[in-house]
Amino acid sequence: MNLPPQLEAKFQTLENRYPVKRSALIPMLLYAQDQLGYVSDDMIGEIARRLGLNTLQVTETMAYYSMLRRQRAGKYHVQVCTNVSCMLRGGNNLYEFVQKKLEIGHKQTTADGVFSLEEVECLGACTGAPAMQVNYDFYENLTTERATQIFEALEAGRKPGTSAPISGSVKPRHPAEVPVISRLFGVKDSHKLDVYVAHDGYKGMERALKELTPDQVIEEVKKSNLRGRGGAGFPTGMKWSFVPKESAKPKYILCNADESEPGTCKDRPLMEMMPHQLIEGIVIAGRAVGSHQGYIYIRGEYRYVLDIMDGAIAEAYKAGYLGRNILGSGFDFDLVTHTGAGAYECGEESALMESLEGKRGYPRIRPPFPAVVGLYGSPTVINNVETLSSAPEILRRGGEWYAGIGSPKNGGTRLFCISGHVNKPGIYELPMGFSLRQMIEDVAGGMLNGKKLKAVIPGGSSCPLLTADEIDVAMDYDSVAKAGSMLGSGGLVVIDEDTCMVDLARRIMHFYAHESCGWCIPCREGTGWLRKMLDRFHAGGARAEDIPMVSELAKNMLGKTFCPLGDAAAMPIISIAKKWRHEFEQHLSGKCPYKPADVLAAVR
Amino acid sequence: MADSKDVTLKIDDRDVTVPPGTLVIEAARRMGIEVPSFCYYPGLSLQAACRMCLVEVERAPKLQTACTLVAMPGMVVRTNTEQVHQARKAMLEFLLANHPLDCPVCDKGGECELQDMAFTYGADKSRFAEEKRHRPERKWSEAVYYDAPRCILCFRCVRVCDEGMDVKALGVGQRGSQSVIIPNGEDHLDCEECGMCIDICPVGALTSGTYRYKTRPWEMKYVSTVCAHCSNGCKTTLSVRNNEILRANNRDLSGFNKEFLCVKGRFGFDFTSHPERLKLPLVRRNGHLEPASWEDAIAEASRRLAEVHKASGADSIGFIGSNRTTNEENYLLGRIARASIGTNNLDHHRTADYPSLIAALGEKAAAATVTMTQLYEADAVLLIGDDPTQQNPLVAWQIRAAIRHRGSRLYVINAKSIKLRRKAREFVEVSQGGEAAAVSWLSGSDETLDPGVAESLSALKSALEKENNVVVVFGAELTGAAVRDLVKFGASLPGQTRYMALGDYANSRGASDMGLLPHLLPGYAPLADVKAREKFGKVWGAKLTNKPGLDARGMLAAATSGKLRALYVVGANPVKTFGVNANERLGKLDLLIVHDLFLTETAKLADIVLPAAAAYEKDGSVTNTAGEVQLVRKGGDVMGTRSDFDILRIFSHQLAEHGLGQAIRLRTPEAAFDEIRQSVAGYDLSMAALLLGEAERTSPISTAGGQAKFDAPVGAIFSAHDTLFASGSLGRYCTTILSLPEAGPKTTPEAGAHS
Repeated sequence: MNLPPQLEAKFQTLENRYPVKRSALIPMLLYAQDQLGYVSDDMIGEIARRLGLNTLQVTETMAYYSMLRRQRAGKYHVQVCTNVSCMLRGGNNLYEFVQKKLEIGHKQTTADGVFSLEEVECLGACTGAPAMQVNYDFYENLTTERATQIFEALEAGRKPGTSAPISGSVKPRHPAEVPVISRLFGVKDSHKLDVYVAHDGYKGMERALKELTPDQVIEEVKKSNLRGRGGAGFPTGMKWSFVPKESAKPKYILCNADESEPGTCKDRPLMEMMPHQLIEGIVIAGRAVGSHQGYIYIRGEYRYVLDIMDGAIAEAYKAGYLGRNILGSGFDFDLVTHTGAGAYECGEESALMESLEGKRGYPRIRPPFPAVVGLYGSPTVINNVETLSSAPEILRRGGEWYAGIGSPKNGGTRLFCISGHVNKPGIYELPMGFSLRQMIEDVAGGMLNGKKLKAVIPGGSSCPLLTADEIDVAMDYDSVAKAGSMLGSGGLVVIDEDTCMVDLARRIMHFYAHESCGWCIPCREGTGWLRKMLDRFHAGGARAEDIPMVSELAKNMLGKTFCPLGDAAAMPIISIAKKWRHEFEQHLSGKCPYKPADVLAAVR
Repeated sequence: MADSKDVTLKIDDRDVTVPPGTLVIEAARRMGIEVPSFCYYPGLSLQAACRMCLVEVERAPKLQTACTLVAMPGMVVRTNTEQVHQARKAMLEFLLANHPLDCPVCDKGGECELQDMAFTYGADKSRFAEEKRHRPERKWSEAVYYDAPRCILCFRCVRVCDEGMDVKALGVGQRGSQSVIIPNGEDHLDCEECGMCIDICPVGALTSGTYRYKTRPWEMKYVSTVCAHCSNGCKTTLSVRNNEILRANNRDLSGFNKEFLCVKGRFGFDFTSHPERLKLPLVRRNGHLEPASWEDAIAEASRRLAEVHKASGADSIGFIGSNRTTNEENYLLGRIARASIGTNNLDHHRTADYPSLIAALGEKAAAATVTMTQLYEADAVLLIGDDPTQQNPLVAWQIRAAIRHRGSRLYVINAKSIKLRRKAREFVEVSQGGEAAAVSWLSGSDETLDPGVAESLSALKSALEKENNVVVVFGAELTGAAVRDLVKFGASLPGQTRYMALGDYANSRGASDMGLLPHLLPGYAPLADVKAREKFGKVWGAKLTNKPGLDARGMLAAATSGKLRALYVVGANPVKTFGVNANERLGKLDLLIVHDLFLTETAKLADIVLPAAAAYEKDGSVTNTAGEVQLVRKGGDVMGTRSDFDILRIFSHQLAEHGLGQAIRLRTPEAAFDEIRQSVAGYDLSMAALLLGEAERTSPISTAGGQAKFDAPVGAIFSAHDTLFASGSLGRYCTTILSLPEAGPKTTPEAGAHS
């Protein structure tokens, strides 16, 4: 098969990028799709041939990833997010508006082939809700006018200006903020090497490489009380210390940039605006555990972020911050990016490794744990973008300094993404242990339209929800856990009194049912069942016996699924069914008593 | 016996001691405690997907999957608590939510694991009030159908196809609750059609094209017997209703093949009910074969044979036996030839040089040959010639399993890039027919080889020298001197070396062991061995001649020259197998008698055709290519046919009446086997084990003390190179197999392969 030269070059690069050829599969499919609008049967055969796979191995892998398609989409593929943060800000209205405007529905293409439409799950633009993506371009804070302008521009062949670099993340600082890892947000050209270096960039790495032993690096991170920012909050220094010192196989640093927990949109600006900070953090991790190869697995939707990341990596190589003998230290480290193709489950560490190996993103049986048997069966450290981005300042300014910023056992700052019904949604860097009430009422500017607070999702949609009475809690791992929820990924979703909690539960379950990988029975069947049941319940088919059954089914999933996704689906539902049971009872009349304010109209 | 490394743990308040690395689910099963599971399947990779095996483990915060949990000393496991019961009930409720519950019309009803689990562990009512997911049923091939709504996504089928078969024809489509099993051809299967996926499916999602909607499992009787096709001796269980075989599988895991069966074992039974099956004896009258009664046909056959004997002497009569008939039948045929008639003109289509291997090994013959199970246990396998994937599928399965489970190494010498090459550490590609030269080179001869081949052989040799335990598996490419070279090379290796010769058909080895050979008596006793002749002469009531007989080709040539006047063929098709011009050669015979299931090229020329029962329609024993003896059991029955055993037995009575030999008084195959056990070297096997359905290996000892050469004439030993979809003449009547696209262009009974 003759490929366009650019694609041919891309394919060749990818084929030689990984120790196992199959790893190139998903990127190859996605790049081929970018070129052709879809993945043709011929292309499947071609990629299979190049990677030494059979076509079934290609098609079954493809079928797993929601971005990959075998039918041609429109020239402009419009993806409207209706997940919780967007839904609360009018995402459903927007989606309806776009359907009418383009006269097509979900996964349909206009007759002229110009537009296709898809209702998608969280795009990672929660603080800029409602948001949509056209091909790889993000459009945020949308109103119907703004959407109209965008479609008109596209139809006229013009490229509409996208929203500000990162909606919500570049904004006046709140005085309570402690900018550490976001310190260059808003600084011009912050993604460039010289700007980063001018702001103490790569100093932490230099210290780690030249002044400290690997054990001392780990010690520094342990002292910092840095805990995993992906959501589980495992102490990072301890995780690094689990990697065997001696290994016959190469060790890997894997950066989890598959950000997709609804309500969470912090890794995107971190990579967009401070890609060098992440590179630096990864090299530090490499130094700590004796690894010389890193991968950044970036969710497929963040293509422009991946391009920025690639640019920064190239700059870093050129300046000697990556590659052989970094800064004359004798330490070598190589780093590449890798694109996902649409799968929440691939944010789970072992599923991510499967995906990076070019397979369906099914999680793996543990033990063995990644620190011993990870990527390509080798010892692997896998950390979230925010975690690794915290390492440079810890190494530059010391673990104790970092620990001193946060609360006990919860070192440093974290990026809180505050979305939903607040006046100033945005990404705020606040010390660990910051008051939740203050975040809502002060930092995020209080409730939108003066409405009353009903509920808060404290750390992404997987967490049990807190009621308005439960927000006097310090936002660190231990305190939120004590309050019966989880700090999670730092994605706060603030929900007002007009929101129907049954509808919210329904939307959350739609997400998990869509993203369940299908590996284990309770998650695969449980999410699907609850989705159908909550749909019916909310649409007027509520029966009294459904109410206890909702939490019973969720509890039957809880703790019994293969990976945490089942728990993630169950926990919010159990909390909603318990704390807002009366709202379920109200639906027994056959009508939803809530008519949420049309936020989109209000913003307009 | 307990080992010091063994692990003792407590399950449901009882101690159990198991080897380190044992999974808790296996430890529990060992104690008779059933821990339910769908996705767990011994020998396949672990999944922990179905969550049925969740158990309580002391000090673990959550329930644990017993199928992935490795037993540890002091571990305390509970499988019988309220929490565990509730979890099982919940999993079944989830599973049944979208299940169509169409058990009354589902093939699997009555033998369905989901049904059994729901019965044992499930709830008594369904709470699912939503619309069920539906997808239409798909026909993936003539052999395999897929009903997605019934599928519980345990991925056993995907794993057995990939890990077990190395075919990778099944995958998973979509994601989440939309997940579905997909075939490699988008809407159809393009594979080896083994049907392993059907049997391993715990529910009615994958069903057999030949069996679906035919009957209910409880309406059939089940007969465990040995596959009628290749030489590997897989157990297959026939499902029989009203004497008709409706299905073959190995769901009971009987035999050394455990769950394995290939397309022939699973779908190749329908020749028994083929419309062209002979059901009446035929006698040639005025140039035409016309139906006759059994009484008349046998009377005429014996009378005419006696006439030939009288007119032209014993050596004007020849016998060609079968490599599919039972040991007892072969033994009887040899007795009739040698004792009743008095000739050594006796042969069959030889597909492996078993005699040369046994001769070369001499006294070590028993210890230096391996069973199918020992093949799996080998540390290293050297495969020379043959294509086991096609010709000896169980051998290929055992080799793959050894590599997968035990990390065994495979070394291959072949003229073709056979499929097993994918699994080989070293692959030496020789020229067509170059296997013997390669072996000669390995044994240290001054054979000149292509330098490239010599170089890779040299690498292979040094790799083998590092192995402790090598099993050499070889095909018909090696005969006579090459087999001796091979044994010489094997003896030069520092580790233990053992052997397996690969033949073609279900009783190829048995035909050889029972002495259907012009130069060897049963048990590989040379004709020159006076004691052996006396022994058999005594048992058979005759004085045996030591005059060497003609082999099959010799007999056919003698038929042309007029020296041979009568030929007696049992279950063979020499016209086709040896490629003779039928009209010219066999036409000159005074008498041609043929036993067969069908009117083969040879039967068409016969004067008398006797309709024989198939292997699935009789009792007896067969010996696989590894020398393992197993009992075959009567499953089906076709009215009008008789077993070759009965025909030969009755025939011997009639011959005796004509003054030829003594009547055979052995009334049943069991009685004949008893005589075999006593008189045939290596066959003194445990009857109890055989009756229990086990395989017992023969222990052949070359009576010539290792010095003998049992070489066959050039061209006497050759493989038919049947593929997975061919099985000699019999394969031409396996309708289902022939309907598969993978079987290639449609063959009629006129075309097709040998034997």
